[in-house]
Amino acid sequence: MKILMLGWEYPPHIAGGLGTACQGLTSALADQGISIHFVVPQIYGDEKVEHMVFTDSARRGVGPRIDSSEVASGETAIDVEVSRVPAFLTPYWNPSQFKEAVVSATKRQWASLPRAIREEPVARALIDGEVFGVDLVSALAPEQPRSNGNGSRARYAPDIFKEVERFTADVIARFSSESFDIIHAHDWMTFPAAVALAQTTGKPLVIHVHSLEHDRSGLFLNSSINEIENFGLSAADRIIAVSHYTKRSIEKHHNISANKIFVVHNGVYPRGAVTDYRLKKTWPRHVVLFLGRVTFQKGPDYFVEIASRVIPHVPDVLFVLAGSGDMLPAVMDQVRGMKLDNHFLFPGFLQGEELEEMFSIADLYVMPSVSEPFGITALEAISFDTPVIISKQSGVAEVLRHALKADFWDIERMADLIINSLLHEELRNEMVLMAREEVRRLHWDAAALKTIEVYQDVIV
Amino acid sequence: MPSVCAYFQVHQPYRLRPFSFFDKSGDYFNNALNREVMQRVAARCYIPANQALLKIIKATRGTFKVTFSITGTAIEQMREYAPEALKSFQELARTGCVEFLGETYHHSLASLYSPTEFREQVLLHQDLMQTEFRCRPRIFRNTELIFSDSIGAAISDLGFKAVLAEGVDEILGWRSPNSVYRVVGRDVALLTKNYALSDDIAFRFATSGEHGGTLTPESFVARMRERAQSDDVVGIFLDYETFGEHHREESGILRFLAELPACVLADSSWKFLTPSEVIQQHKSVGELSYPRHTSWADCERDLSAWRGNEIQRKALDAIYAYTPDTEERRQVWRKLQTSDHFYYMATKEAADSAVHSYFSPFESPYEAFIAFANVARDLGAAQRS
Repeated sequence: MKILMLGWEYPPHIAGGLGTACQGLTSALADQGISIHFVVPQIYGDEKVEHMVFTDSARRGVGPRIDSSEVASGETAIDVEVSRVPAFLTPYWNPSQFKEAVVSATKRQWASLPRAIREEPVARALIDGEVFGVDLVSALAPEQPRSNGNGSRARYAPDIFKEVERFTADVIARFSSESFDIIHAHDWMTFPAAVALAQTTGKPLVIHVHSLEHDRSGLFLNSSINEIENFGLSAADRIIAVSHYTKRSIEKHHNISANKIFVVHNGVYPRGAVTDYRLKKTWPRHVVLFLGRVTFQKGPDYFVEIASRVIPHVPDVLFVLAGSGDMLPAVMDQVRGMKLDNHFLFPGFLQGEELEEMFSIADLYVMPSVSEPFGITALEAISFDTPVIISKQSGVAEVLRHALKADFWDIERMADLIINSLLHEELRNEMVLMAREEVRRLHWDAAALKTIEVYQDVIV
Repeated sequence: MPSVCAYFQVHQPYRLRPFSFFDKSGDYFNNALNREVMQRVAARCYIPANQALLKIIKATRGTFKVTFSITGTAIEQMREYAPEALKSFQELARTGCVEFLGETYHHSLASLYSPTEFREQVLLHQDLMQTEFRCRPRIFRNTELIFSDSIGAAISDLGFKAVLAEGVDEILGWRSPNSVYRVVGRDVALLTKNYALSDDIAFRFATSGEHGGTLTPESFVARMRERAQSDDVVGIFLDYETFGEHHREESGILRFLAELPACVLADSSWKFLTPSEVIQQHKSVGELSYPRHTSWADCERDLSAWRGNEIQRKALDAIYAYTPDTEERRQVWRKLQTSDHFYYMATKEAADSAVHSYFSPFESPYEAFIAFANVARDLGAAQRS
């Protein structure tokens, strides 16, 4: 079985959990004998990919699986210099240029398509730059930044839409004649390309939802993104949701029938060298860690409120709020305003060794997310022997028994759980001991097997 | 002449509410839940099962004998929430065909932690049995059938004539669970539970019948006859809540209970005995040593159900390190000693975890621990202030 997989990021160049999940899932799928061509908008050259064909949308690739047959004529297999050029430096297309590109790319494929597909009205609609009644061009047009008076900014730079346009046009132009069995697309940025490709090739489409605009933005919904999600979900033959929580959101916000949505929980790869870091737990104070994007979705403001309830009862506690994001300045103001400066640390966005060290030093990892489709960081924390307290509004709460759980809004309960965890070392030890075993069973292999079931279901 | 010794355990704990660190001192117990459970179990089990047993006693003209152990915390909650249930136990007591066993009033683990507290709770329970049923227990069963040689000695010192224990394979070795034994070095008889037969009813009722179907009295009795020698005593020891609560009436369990005695007595060589009658009629075959603690809980049949992990041991150590300074606080302290609180904190995986969480009012063992820790802390703080 050959899968054409469309993604947006891949380790080590990641902004969130999406790339990590794609790495885990594709590795486990490859172990099961699934052949994958993974396409991202941008290749940096230092990705370590041996289990699949890994290219950007212009078919420039990296890794041992790239050979001449995988590379479009006239291009070299690995051209790090070329591919390192950030994608946003390439000339933007304006909407009419995009439409033109899509139309001409599609027309180029037109002749080679089977007659049956050529006759389909959706394929015709695509020629006109429309898919499923959604005007792709205007759907992808950047939204005007809102000015709602309270300092909230647009969370996506306008050029993300340009990126999506470029990716879509590239994918249609370069992958329509590719031979594969199924298109598997991860999150909204890849949906236009995936839907268009499904229409031109007639191949089944599996849409994989790691998060929804409803999760990410709360009240300030970006209607363009929401619309792209909606047409992707409507067009999909099958949908994979990372949790029951996400499945319910898809049903509720997009009115999609439950029987085409399948839940495949994320996994985590067991970590070997935890002990080295464990020795570094020599900080003189109790450390409670928040680690994630500092945005509405992750509940950093709740974290500060919770901290203010804990501090009077556990004087030697240090709250570490690691990450960056649009809410960071406001949250730092909040901490100053509540006079909690002595109990807070803002190390910014951590990665690599710094990130691992932070996870290891922490006595407790707290994820007070307002809305969390999965929450893979909770599993990572456990793999560093750090017990976790997670919000009930998270997908990971469905798979983790050996964790403390509370509603994100229940500040007092969260504080109660943190205080007791810090006061009783036995509680932390027992939770980690059991959770470590539990996480070992949440292996990516299980996720891969469930994904293959979805593939088989859609091919028949 | 082979005989059956049927003993049923009646117990309800005072479940804690999810008491928060920020709660002001006061109500620790989940009165609403405790009322609900007691009234539900009374309606589903205690009252209908007692009626069935009363009917059998009358129908068999006293040939049928049954034994109960009822904890103080269950009696107190019956008084408060289900007085009819208590009345029906008293009615059974008046038939003279029912024996009541001694145990700790609070269904506690005091036997493992505090000899003086153990003694006091046992005496309290004897007084309670005297008051409610006009009899002073002479036979003992410890919380969850927890037993060891040293507990045997303590029981002997309290004047009991016999004790019930789990028939653990490694302890019995080649010996039969259906014989009467003696506590090591003491003149105290030891009756062991036939767990294979008892668990066929308690845990496997729905599947232990013929061809994996529901167990019938006929096939149970046939199985019992097959395994028992001429002079055997078969100890069928169960939670009374098995009948109508753990297995609902729809399963046919109450009918099973109602029909079983007649089915046993259909063979005139069989009879029912209370433990006191057993030790009068059967000589012990020898000493049986329990060098380690055993119980009837979980696959391990040891103490791991209550102190198998760090949080359980921490909670137990904390509660037994406490000395109450007022009678009111002593009452609360004793209710906190009930073994169920520690049972809820078990983090075992697999089959046992399902049983633990079935009983637990908390979402996880960790939340059970946190509620307990908050209460214990509040109790200590109230005492200091």
